[in-house]
Amino acid sequence: MLKSERSICQKMKHAIDDAEKRIQLLYTSPCIYSRYILLHDIRSCMQELRLLCNAFADQDMQAMGPGENDRTFIQGNRIDLTEEELSKYTGKGGKPAYVAINGTIYDVTGNAAWAAASHFGLTAGKDLSKEFASCHAGQQILNKLTAVGKLIG
Amino acid sequence: MNKDTAVCPEYAARLSSAGDLIRKASNEIQRKNLEKKNLVWLELTGCSGNIISMLNGANPDLKYLITQMVNMKYSNSLMAAEGEAAMEQLMNIGMEDYILAVEGAVSTKENGIYNIIGRWKGEPLTALKAVKLLGEKAAHVIALGACATHGGVSAAMPNPADCVGVQAVLDKKVIKLPGCPCHPDWFTGTLAHILLYGEPELDQKDRPLLFYSTLIHDRCPRRAFFDKGIFATKLGENTCMFKLGCRGPVTRVDCPIRKWNDYVNWPIQDDTPCIGCAQFGFPDRMEPFISYNTTREG
Repeated sequence: MLKSERSICQKMKHAIDDAEKRIQLLYTSPCIYSRYILLHDIRSCMQELRLLCNAFADQDMQAMGPGENDRTFIQGNRIDLTEEELSKYTGKGGKPAYVAINGTIYDVTGNAAWAAASHFGLTAGKDLSKEFASCHAGQQILNKLTAVGKLIG
Repeated sequence: MNKDTAVCPEYAARLSSAGDLIRKASNEIQRKNLEKKNLVWLELTGCSGNIISMLNGANPDLKYLITQMVNMKYSNSLMAAEGEAAMEQLMNIGMEDYILAVEGAVSTKENGIYNIIGRWKGEPLTALKAVKLLGEKAAHVIALGACATHGGVSAAMPNPADCVGVQAVLDKKVIKLPGCPCHPDWFTGTLAHILLYGEPELDQKDRPLLFYSTLIHDRCPRRAFFDKGIFATKLGENTCMFKLGCRGPVTRVDCPIRKWNDYVNWPIQDDTPCIGCAQFGFPDRMEPFISYNTTREG
């Protein structure tokens, strides 16, 4: 097993432990609002697990090397897009809302802070690396988002 | 416990936080353990909505606040004096200890000439000069409402008078109570805390944690709809308004608990999305306030 794979496994174990702890707390929490928060945390753990699964898929792909299929719909549900293609994913007209940050495309369709696919005056379908760096540098945000693919071209 | 009377202890405690502080401050003042402090209320570039909001205060009402808790030294909307006599009252405060409350943004274009708040010794007194002069000497400065805390509506594009928040022109700590307008409890509770214990605990943006500690989304009574992916598609539907552009998930304040107009109702309970009026950057960065043609379900 590669060193990076061991690190991903370690993180997966942490995420599972975190989720289990919160599930235990759910049984003892008398307040419905505390339970909502715990459920939200469990959902975050699941998102992290999903991200880590994607990271595993990424490693497999890197091992295969770049090829003809290294563009769209790689590894089942992975979608790589050019900036022009990304611009269609605005969250309008039934399309999902995607944003690119530092070369990775994330799905913000169901993200609470992206109501109606807009966030503090920003809209989806764009590369928002600079905007992200100016507001969220050093914050643990990206690992809670669902990565869908890479920005290419 | 009877299901109908069960109240979350966190909600009960937070709902009564401002009232409890005010009652305690008032008792201490009556027992002469605490002295009333002077309060100066400046209205700068804005709509005067915050003083109107204070007039709607219920716990206590404004009359009680300005007679039993503080000596109201200046408020151009409420005081009897006018013209030079009113300005005399304002300028004489410099000798005494006072708390400064500011509503409205500070117009800075051409040295503040776009907002004159009165005339002093025949000269126009700009809002910019007044807030600098009084802010520097005040024991505490409290900025209320969106305009005073970060520029708000007055600083919205294209911001013709170059409006800024109070902090941008003062070198000292400004306690910020954003909201459009500020809830009466947020101000009266902060004021009572200052009288009793000094400055309340503030977050990184200088908002009292007493009122600004949780996101609207985290205490929203419609949160379960969000978690289950049940979304309103038009106004009037009593489910989660995330798809309509609700800003509750990015707005940190206690509206779901405290509510408005004597604790009766608030936008989401009335099927209107939160427009993020208590978030820095309102209104420009909270727009659009409503969207219909949005994302897929789920």
